[in-house]
Amino acid sequence: MTTAREGWELPISEAQLTRLTRDMEDAHRSTLPAMRTGAVDLAEQTRTRSTPDDGAADPGRRRFLLGAGGLAAALTLAACSSNGKNTSASSTKGAGGVSASASSAGKYTGDLKVVALAVALENQAVGAYQATLAAAKAGKLGTVPPAVATFVSTAMAQHADHAKVWNTVLTRAGKPAITNVPLSNQAATTSALGKATSVGDVAELALQLEDQAAQTYLFATYNVTSPAGIETAATIAPVEAMHAAILHYVLGQYPVPDDFLPTDKAADPALLTI
Amino acid sequence: MAAERIDTRLLEQLTEQSQDLNSDAVRITNEALGDFTEVARDEAAARRRWWQRGGTVAGAVGAAALMSSLRATAATSGDDIMALQTAASIENLAVSVYRTAAGLPFIKNGNKTIAAFIAKTTTQHQAHAEAFNSAATQAGGKGQTGPDPKYAAVVKQTLPSITTPADVVKLAITLEDVAAQTYTKNVGQVSSAELRKLFASVAPVEAQHRATLLAVQALLAGNTADLIAVPTDVAKLPAAAGSVGIPDTFYPTENASPITEGAVK
Repeated sequence: MTTAREGWELPISEAQLTRLTRDMEDAHRSTLPAMRTGAVDLAEQTRTRSTPDDGAADPGRRRFLLGAGGLAAALTLAACSSNGKNTSASSTKGAGGVSASASSAGKYTGDLKVVALAVALENQAVGAYQATLAAAKAGKLGTVPPAVATFVSTAMAQHADHAKVWNTVLTRAGKPAITNVPLSNQAATTSALGKATSVGDVAELALQLEDQAAQTYLFATYNVTSPAGIETAATIAPVEAMHAAILHYVLGQYPVPDDFLPTDKAADPALLTI
Repeated sequence: MAAERIDTRLLEQLTEQSQDLNSDAVRITNEALGDFTEVARDEAAARRRWWQRGGTVAGAVGAAALMSSLRATAATSGDDIMALQTAASIENLAVSVYRTAAGLPFIKNGNKTIAAFIAKTTTQHQAHAEAFNSAATQAGGKGQTGPDPKYAAVVKQTLPSITTPADVVKLAITLEDVAAQTYTKNVGQVSSAELRKLFASVAPVEAQHRATLLAVQALLAGNTADLIAVPTDVAKLPAAAGSVGIPDTFYPTENASPITEGAVK
């Protein structure tokens, strides 16, 4: 990516971009249908496990809390309880300027709360990368290396696809899709992006978001009950981790820092403001 | 890459920082394995323990649902053990291949960053093998000390033709990908949350190895091996370096090894 005198230019030719896009679409073609099928399965599983009027009595939702026997997990996910009061309480912790499209408390419970969290995280990542491209175009980040530009575009598209799949789960379960970022840390994220003055600044921030996403999906694999949900989270976590590896490299850091992916940076479902 | 580009002190510092970061992750995984051990060793005791631990919520939940949950947590099937053994076999093969690669003259005397990556990745695969075998033995199975037979044959066939770093990288990409795909699929196959956590915490690491190797492969192919460095000159990286390492929107599993592939006979 280069900064042109009168604006921003993509550092590759249109033909190259078209070829890269075609290659990527070919690569994705084999995975997206399967993911959509998985999303349908997950929606069906969550729908059959949900009891709209009395979630507290639903063992499926409780398995979400207890099934993993997950020590801190059970405590953390207490906020995901089907108890409407808990959900409402977490939603009052501050939306941070977020205007949720689905703003009434308690719409997402049990496994669907984790799905909602996933959509929010994916939307947050898409927004961060969009803001990065905008800042680059405005010349606020200095000269942006071509590799960083292609990374941003590629990662952003992948996050958008992840969000689509998770939103499919929500809508098929009869819940509203989430098109914004209903997370209490969004204001801080937006602020940090606004203050970024270099590629390094945005790469650091992007790395935090990618780590958060990858680790949240890891956390989800052993805390959700729906098999399709587990499988979907399992197929996305490695992709976010790969994003993180490239960002580590861009930042001059070793690209594979952990022997085992940790969960200390996983997003707490209580971050959700809806 | 040119040897003069390597700042070995910085590399050592980065390695040290990396090891510090690892310690937390290893501890967390060991804790998970410890939990798994407890659950697998004595299901009845575990049931009592979870019942007590969940005492504050048990009143609000039907006893049947809780017991069902506990059974799911404690269950370890023969399939689980085979999956763990196959995973260990893939790790064993990876360790063997990386060790062999490290001894090749064009690796040993070549790009220092590639050599450092091979060394570090070897230790990470060793840690994975130990974790999988530990879980297998704790569940009542045998540890797998041999390599995955299917890919051992591939390696045996490929090794004689390896003459460049690019050849090594290509083979390593194959092994990392099959590992990542297998563990990603295993997450949905195993019967307990503890095992899901184990497989799901390793798959992304193998995927990161693959991402790194894909980028290295592109740099080697583009005759820009001098950019294979930590830190690198980001401004000089070709545009493709930003996307070649992240080819999948969802990690595929069609090439995952079946759970029986590396099981102890």
